Formats: sequence, C-alpha cells, structure tokens
Amino acid sequence: MGERVADRLERLVNLTATLLETRRPLTLDELSERVEPRYPEELAARRRQFERDKETLRELGIPIRVETLDGFGAEQAYRIHPDDYYLPELELTEAELAALHVAVTAVRLEGDAGREGLAKLGGLAGEGADSPLAQLDVTPGLAALFDAVSRHAPVTFSYRGDVRHLDPYGVVLRFGHWYVVGHDHDREAPRAFRVDRIDGEAELGRGGAFTPPEGIDPADYVRADPMTYGEDQPVDAHVLVDAPRAGWVVDQLGDEAVVERRADGAVVVALPVVNRAAFRSWVVDLLDHAEVLSPPELRADMVAWLDALAGAEPSR
Amino acid sequence: MSRPLVGPRLQRVLALVPWILAHPGVTIAELATRFEVSELELERDLELLPMCGLPPYTADRLIDVSVIDGGVEIRLAEYFERPLRLAPAEGLALLAAGRALLAVPGSDPNGPLATALAKLDDALGAPSLAVDVGASDQLERLQDAAASDERVEIDYYSFARDEMTTRVIDPWRVFHAFGTWYVAGWCHRVDGERLFRVDRVRAVRATGERFDPDTRGDDELRDLVYHPSADDPRVKLRLAPAAEWVVESHPHESATRRKNGSWDVVLAVSEPAWLERLLVGLGPDATVVAPPELVGLGASAARRLRARYGTT
Repeated sequence: MGERVADRLERLVNLTATLLETRRPLTLDELSERVEPRYPEELAARRRQFERDKETLRELGIPIRVETLDGFGAEQAYRIHPDDYYLPELELTEAELAALHVAVTAVRLEGDAGREGLAKLGGLAGEGADSPLAQLDVTPGLAALFDAVSRHAPVTFSYRGDVRHLDPYGVVLRFGHWYVVGHDHDREAPRAFRVDRIDGEAELGRGGAFTPPEGIDPADYVRADPMTYGEDQPVDAHVLVDAPRAGWVVDQLGDEAVVERRADGAVVVALPVVNRAAFRSWVVDLLDHAEVLSPPELRADMVAWLDALAGAEPSR
Repeated sequence: MSRPLVGPRLQRVLALVPWILAHPGVTIAELATRFEVSELELERDLELLPMCGLPPYTADRLIDVSVIDGGVEIRLAEYFERPLRLAPAEGLALLAAGRALLAVPGSDPNGPLATALAKLDDALGAPSLAVDVGASDQLERLQDAAASDERVEIDYYSFARDEMTTRVIDPWRVFHAFGTWYVAGWCHRVDGERLFRVDRVRAVRATGERFDPDTRGDDELRDLVYHPSADDPRVKLRLAPAAEWVVESHPHESATRRKNGSWDVVLAVSEPAWLERLLVGLGPDATVVAPPELVGLGASAARRLRARYGTT
C-alpha cells in the first residue's frame, strides 16, 4: 500500500544501522522518532509496518533481539548485538575467494545459498569453473542441523517413530545421503542418522550446551559400507564369487578381502557382517554368481530366505 | 513492470558497502561483476546510500559516497565495516561445495581452497562437515582421458543386465551426482550417447586415438533418472511398509498408499535381472500383482539361486 520500494529500502538500511549502533535497546516509539523515512503516525499501521520490516530483516538473517524493558509497563525494545551481526574477520585473499568461486560453480547445490554467502565474503573473484563437476542434494532440515552443530546446540527429533536426543558433532555427506552424527543420549553411544529419514523438523536446544570431543572426524561415525553398519553380532562370512564377477567384487572389497583364488578365476572373499539384511542383499545382487560358504548360520539364512520365496504361492 | 524485491537488494547493499570500505577506489565495472548485477542497478544502489545513515541524518551522519575517476569510495559507514554473518544455509552450501571439490582427486590439499575452507571453519565455530564423494579406481584415469579428448576402451559391468561388456567410448565429461561418479560420452558399441557409472568401469585402455571435442554433448549435467521407454514392460508390485524405500528410490509410474501402510507401485522394468534382484532381495515384502507372466519371476529366480546350495 503505497510505500515506494526505495523508501522502504532506505528505512531498512537506516533501521539496521540504528539498531546496530545503539548502546541500549530501543522501543518502537523511540525508533519511530529516529528512523527515516518515518513510520506511519497511526499506531496499528506503525506496528504493522515495523513487524513487516522486522520480518524482512529476519529473513535475511539479521538477528534483532527483543528485550523487555522493566519500569515502562514491560515495554518491548529492540537492538542488534554486534556479535550476532558481524562476520568474524576472515581476511580471505583474492586467490581464496577465486577458489570458493570455482567451488560454488563446479559443485552445484539447489538454491543460491552458496553464491549469497560468497557475496558476503567479497563476491565473485576470478573466472569460476567452466562446467559443473558435481551435483549435491541438500536435504530439507539440513541447514538447521548444521546450525545446531555450529552452535553446539542439542537437537531432538523423531526418527522412524522414536524420539531421539542428540548432541550433534557434525554433518556428513556419503553415498549421496546426508547424515547428522553425534552422541545419542537415548543409547548413550555415538550414532549417525540419515537426515532424510528424520520426521518433520528437528528442535534445537540452547547453544553451547555441550563440547564436542577434541579431534573427532565426523566421517568415522558413518561407517564406510552399509554392510558394516548394523547392530547384529559381528560374524566373518566367506562368499564364493564366480569368475565373471570376481574382479568386480575384488575391486569393491579390496585385495585384502580375498582368502582364496581358484584356478577357474573364482575367488572366495571374507566380509565382516554386522547387518544380515544388508549382507543378504549384497549377495542377491550378484544373482547366479555368488554362494555363501560359511559360517553355517549365514548359509542357512540364505537357504531359508530362498526357500521361503521359492515355495511362496503367488498371491493375487 | 514487476515490483522489485526489497530483500535481495538490501542483502546486496549490505554486502557491497563493507567491500567498498575495504577496497576504496574499486570501479563500478568490477563491483558489478563481483556482485552479479548490472552497472545500472549498481549505480542505483550507490545513489541510495547518501540518504542512509544514523539519526538525526545530518551531513556528518549520512553515508558519504564519492565516485572519482570511476573509482568508488565510501565514508561515514563504520557500522557496516564488516559484512553480515553467514546464514546457516550459506555456510553449509559454501563448506559442502568446497569440501566436495577438495575431495576430488587432483585437488591441491594445501591450495587456496583448503586455506579458505579452514578460515570459514573458524568463522563458523569450527563445525564438522565432511563430504565423501567416493573415489573409484578408474576415476582419475577417466578424468584425464576426458580432459585430453582421449578415446578409450573400457570394460564395463552392466548392472541392470548383469553382464560384462567391452566398449570404445569418447569420454565427454566426468561428474558426480546422487552419491556416485559418472562418465558421460559417446559409446561406439551402441553408436549413441551413454552414461556410465565409474565404479562399474573395471578397466580403461588407451586406443591411441583422440575424439573431436566439438562432438561433445551439451554442458549441463545429464538428467540421470532412468527414463523408461514406452516398450519397457511394466510391473505392478505390492510392497509391505518396510519396503517403502523402493517407492522413494525408483522412478515409478504410479504409487498408491493403502490403508494398512502398504504400497501399490507400478514400475517400468528395464531388464529382467533388475527385477529379479529387487524381488529376491525384498522377499516377503514384495509381491508381483501384474502382469501374470511376471507373477512367478521372484520364485523362479529364488529356485535357480537355491539350486547351487544343494540339499542342506
């Protein structure tokens, strides 16, 4: 209604400057007397316009603190704490800015957050990358979890029907999935959670509530292979892989996994199994080219699985 | 005329001012390139600033902008001397992109990208963020081949058909998406554009030939989702709730959730081996509803695989 964009922009710059510069929080009345272009005279319209400005600033990540002044009928007052606003001194060199420019052009993420962040650091230096090299997905809710990691804020979320309480130490992208890792208070153990399997939004607790252990590598929390990621009692399995797939499997598992090389080109490989379902699906993916040799219980598992399926009456 | 948005302009102004303060004399042209904006828009941003400042908006309290010989200078804006903090999504995007690029073979682990990321880490309270893009044995070899327009012969495992093939390809480009590396190029075996997963390339051999770089396909990342062709058979599956991930991770023609939490999903079947794996892997959690000729596929595959275990 009526207000020119230029006027509103001018007032938002002035409001930001005033709230940053003030030594004490200012009430809406005080802001109305100071900040130009003026807020409307009429009280409801003034309040509405101010709330709109506040929301615009909040969306840009400009943190306005609301404090309650005692003695004035508990009136609300506003300010921006310099520590909340200012980017810490980074002193990025031109070469470093150019390297980040290459990174955000070579590695694509949905949205413009990377470029917007880069504008704050000094904009686009250098040429950027010629062509995209990688596409990373960003899972909804990930930014909030990253924020919790940064601020050492505990998180509470619902995961496959259970409420979990986590001190988040890091976020990890592996096999195309994002994980949040940390100390799980319900299990009193380190755990990794797939972010896309968190139901709804995670709730963030107070910042600075925990101290992450020194020198941890969050990647260690997400085990390298789904097969080694589980809670079954670990068992060493031996699997015979026929010649046509042997090279493929050895590439995947590494030479150290080979316990026997047969004359016909087949290999026997050893795998530590802590997740029987993942192991079974790995063997099934090899279709006719693999056989579980030992231990007897894993071999029997596979046979029972196939028997159940082979004998199943097709349903209609 | 569309209404210009206040938010992005304010964001730009708050990023511009600290940069100009730190680099007095920077030209309008350079600022326009850096901040991805036209010179005209930039001049409008700069015209706005002299009306901004602190109460009571007297000359000594207003931001002073001067353009001398094409160089921009700003004074009386100490409170904007440093930029605004990074929002969580911005910090995340920069670190994720940077870490991913640093993890690619051939990146300099001590170069400017690494030092920039270390500084960002510090500024963001040392958050732990790791990106594992994985590295396959043949990745660097294929990257080198793509970079030098080298035609190569590869041994490739086709997962869907469950067979090993040897083919000559022109590797146009190598890229990472959905958690894995791909090489896109021209396959001389099928005489068509193909996409190969690098982790399924077993061997790469030189042919001694180069391909014409002008024959490369377009620059955008390929659309990687499998596009069923009209002739591919369709299968209708009933999935138990535990197999819901199939709906999430396979392109499907339709998916209906039933009252009891199970799903009816219609998928295009590229290759029978693919459907066999899915059915044997899912076991009791999946049932073929239609067509009739595929109803027994899981059971017959299970019997075939079962045969090599003999009588136990």
